[in-house]
Amino acid sequence: MNKYQIKNLKNMSFQHTRTKSFLNVSNFLLMALIVMVSLAGVGCKSQKKLAKEKEKQEAEAKAARIEKVKQELNALLDDNNSMSLSEKERALQRIKDMNLDDVEVKALIRQVENKLADERAALEKENDRVSADSPDAKIQRLGNYFNAVANASSTSAANNSIQEALSLFTSPDALVLIIISKSGSTKDYDRPTTIQKYLNYLKDQRKNINAIDNVVFDTNGKIKELELIKK
Amino acid sequence: MKSLYKILFVILLSSSIQVNLFAQDEVSPERKQAIDSLALEKVKDLGKYISIIGNKDTEFSEANRVIERALELFADGSQMGVSSLSRPDVKYYGVREYFERLMALNYDRVTIQWFNIQYISDLERQPDGKYVGVITIYQRFQGESDDGLKYMDTTKKDITIYVERKETQIGGRIIGFWDVLLGDIRVTETTT
Repeated sequence: MNKYQIKNLKNMSFQHTRTKSFLNVSNFLLMALIVMVSLAGVGCKSQKKLAKEKEKQEAEAKAARIEKVKQELNALLDDNNSMSLSEKERALQRIKDMNLDDVEVKALIRQVENKLADERAALEKENDRVSADSPDAKIQRLGNYFNAVANASSTSAANNSIQEALSLFTSPDALVLIIISKSGSTKDYDRPTTIQKYLNYLKDQRKNINAIDNVVFDTNGKIKELELIKK
Repeated sequence: MKSLYKILFVILLSSSIQVNLFAQDEVSPERKQAIDSLALEKVKDLGKYISIIGNKDTEFSEANRVIERALELFADGSQMGVSSLSRPDVKYYGVREYFERLMALNYDRVTIQWFNIQYISDLERQPDGKYVGVITIYQRFQGESDDGLKYMDTTKKDITIYVERKETQIGGRIIGFWDVLLGDIRVTETTT
């Protein structure tokens, strides 16, 4: 074995040693990677478990919320509910704002909406009836009748308005006083007349020159005396 | 001496009552203006009533109702002057008769309009407490028949106005009011 062969042999041995140590490092890295992947897998598994747990909790919470909402909606449908209509409407709006995706809840919401709409319509009708019966409403109606009679397109139209206006009075002979001037407590009147005559006057003269100054009602809410004043 | 005091007291009392009565009769310019306007309004109302009564489109029952309303404007015994271009004299009728004749006029269409309604003599207080004045009006009359007959004239009429302070008891209370009544209506001018 010559010198050159010995040198080659030494080089080969050195390379073998280098390859071996390289393989050792690779094995180590591979092992570390396996460990890491295994650990990550365990971590993922627990994350999924946590997410599932959270999902379950949320589903339970949602179910509980839906159940509560159903109870509230059923309470709103209850005729014996002591809440005011406005409170009920606010409660319904709060539930609708939750946007719950539940068929049963949606059906209940529709039922409550219909019920509250009916209640609102009934309340408004009652309010209209009460306000129509109020003295102010009657005075306003009377003023409208005066205009309608004075500006009627025909005698029969004027007569219809006269009949309707008379229904506000105790009788066609109800007293009508017309103030021609007023100074402090002193009032100057025209000759006293009756509501029937006054309404016919408006029809004949086709002018509504007096404003309503004072109205006296009887206990049944009918007008028994009317005081007008020159406009 | 005592009787002298008594006489003085009675004189003072009666003079104070007279002053009070005089004060009550006094009408402020604002109130007087309201009374003037009221009387003028009554004359305008009569013009409208006459137009309705004369109008051939007015139903018989309505015309009769309006006649009654128009009559309420007049003092008892008041007369209405009626003139024509075809005769020089003026005929006078009681107001009811006048309205009935007006309703029965032999035309197919009748139009009556009052205009230029104004005081020619202001309401003046008379010794008896009544106010008397004169309002003048112009009346445009137009009657037409289907056969082509047509008559029209313009008449100037003077209406005497009486305004009186009255009281009436309604429902147990006294209500004071100014009663405006129309008197005779005299024709002073008739033109085409």
